[in-house]
Amino acid sequence: MSKLVKIALAGEGGQGVQSVAEIITEAANEEGKEALYIPNFGVEQRGGVSIAFVQISDKEKVGSPKFEKADIVIALSDRAVRRCAQYVDGSTVFVYDTAIEGVEDDLPKGAKKVIGIPAIETAKNELHPRVFNIIIMGAVIRSTHVVSEDQAKKALEDRLGYKFEQDPKLRELNYRALERGMQLVESHL
Amino acid sequence: MADKPIQGEKRMFMTGNEVCAYAALAANVDVMYGYPITPQNEIMHYWTRLAPKHNRTFLQTEDEISAGFTTCGGVMSGKRCFTATAGPGNTLMQEAMSMAEMMRIPAVFIIQQRGGPSTATVIYSQQEVTMTCFGANGEGLRVVYSTSSHQELFDYTIKSFNVAWKYRFPTFVLGDGYQAKMRESVTIYDPEARGIQMVDTYPLVGLPGMPGVDRDPAHLRNTYNTEEELYEVVKDLVDAYEKMAPEIVEHSTMECDDADVVILCHGIVSRAAIEAVRNLRAAGVKAGFFRPITLRPFAKDALRPIAEKAKKLLIVESSQGQFAKIVTDALYGLTTPMETIFKPGLGITSDEIVNKVKAMI
Repeated sequence: MSKLVKIALAGEGGQGVQSVAEIITEAANEEGKEALYIPNFGVEQRGGVSIAFVQISDKEKVGSPKFEKADIVIALSDRAVRRCAQYVDGSTVFVYDTAIEGVEDDLPKGAKKVIGIPAIETAKNELHPRVFNIIIMGAVIRSTHVVSEDQAKKALEDRLGYKFEQDPKLRELNYRALERGMQLVESHL
Repeated sequence: MADKPIQGEKRMFMTGNEVCAYAALAANVDVMYGYPITPQNEIMHYWTRLAPKHNRTFLQTEDEISAGFTTCGGVMSGKRCFTATAGPGNTLMQEAMSMAEMMRIPAVFIIQQRGGPSTATVIYSQQEVTMTCFGANGEGLRVVYSTSSHQELFDYTIKSFNVAWKYRFPTFVLGDGYQAKMRESVTIYDPEARGIQMVDTYPLVGLPGMPGVDRDPAHLRNTYNTEEELYEVVKDLVDAYEKMAPEIVEHSTMECDDADVVILCHGIVSRAAIEAVRNLRAAGVKAGFFRPITLRPFAKDALRPIAEKAKKLLIVESSQGQFAKIVTDALYGLTTPMETIFKPGLGITSDEIVNKVKAMI
């Protein structure tokens, strides 16, 4: 049976989790893997928790679009942390942002690993708030290896190439965000 | 004639709604009529982007009642037409759909099921089975394909136009909100490159020559004066439908030969069921799987011997027994014990099915 990685990405509307899911699954598809991505839509469109369910398989087509437990959960707001507890079991790596306040007691107890990363702070202080989701994308690909760094960069180029043409500094900014995201989880793995 | 919209074959990664729009384009559709409703909106959005490039058209109507009837009207003028809807829109469209049954109008309807009853959710369900198969006042003289993947959405959307125009019954592609909104890989193709010839369309009205003199009158009616007259007409419709049924009925099975438990499901739930059968077999449990691809007509003859041989049956669906009603009707008289997982408006995972099957043996 082929290897299947299940990812739940959750944040507030506007944090860009859906675009991260889109870029990663497109990159995986380009690499010849089988990917399935479904956004959790509905009331979330009006400012609730936005969850992207992503599954990436080496070879075989992915089964049902929703799953019970994720291999990796990334939660980017207090509500996202609480909402995503249901997708965690003993084999789940749970990643959250250390800037989220008041969730100490809500972090899942039974996870394989709980990792806090300063992505919001890194975006704000080192890079730019608009590449926050690209930092997250770096964290996802480093902790799951669902796509290579090169393929991730190529996917960014495919999606944002027209903007990079206008302002090449943006390309550099996005690449640095991706690399920083990878570094942030690196030491925890 | 513009270039073919799809040359050869192409692997894509996109949403199911986009797949439907590409399939309609590949099937040489002339016109889409539609009214927006989630989760099918993007079929319209993508169609309106793609269509003008290939000399096809789109008309947004004032509601779904109108979208259904304009689709019928477009078909009567000889154009390959379709519409797409969901939930309450499907409800409103039933009148046009039943007219298509009565007048043998080869219209194609794509349904992306959302939660019900009423407005409910815009997300997902399998709660439009009864309505899509048997809705409105009539006898359910419809062809309904329940798809489970983007590839099937593409394949069966194309097929729907050919089945509709060959047999002249309204034909439905029954998807759901998950299939509509999720992205996965799909290979799109030019039907001709795969040896699929699109069935010619032709006008049903406004034919040349004097009716009754040069040719028989077209005589498209949906109103009758006497009970006896209507009875004859409906009997003829039913005969034509039953004659067609064996030629188009489709199903698929997996590991049913020695199965102790056969899982019955349709549409996207079959993806969870296939995973469940694989996991159960790996754990030494003899599970099998039967899935009708056409819900109308139903693969009764294929299902009965399998159900008779199985020790137990498990029906799994994202509604409160709408699919089970079709199954139990087909299995009348058999005594194989049957259990169910009914989750109206809720997605079903393979783990739930695995646990249930293990509890059954």
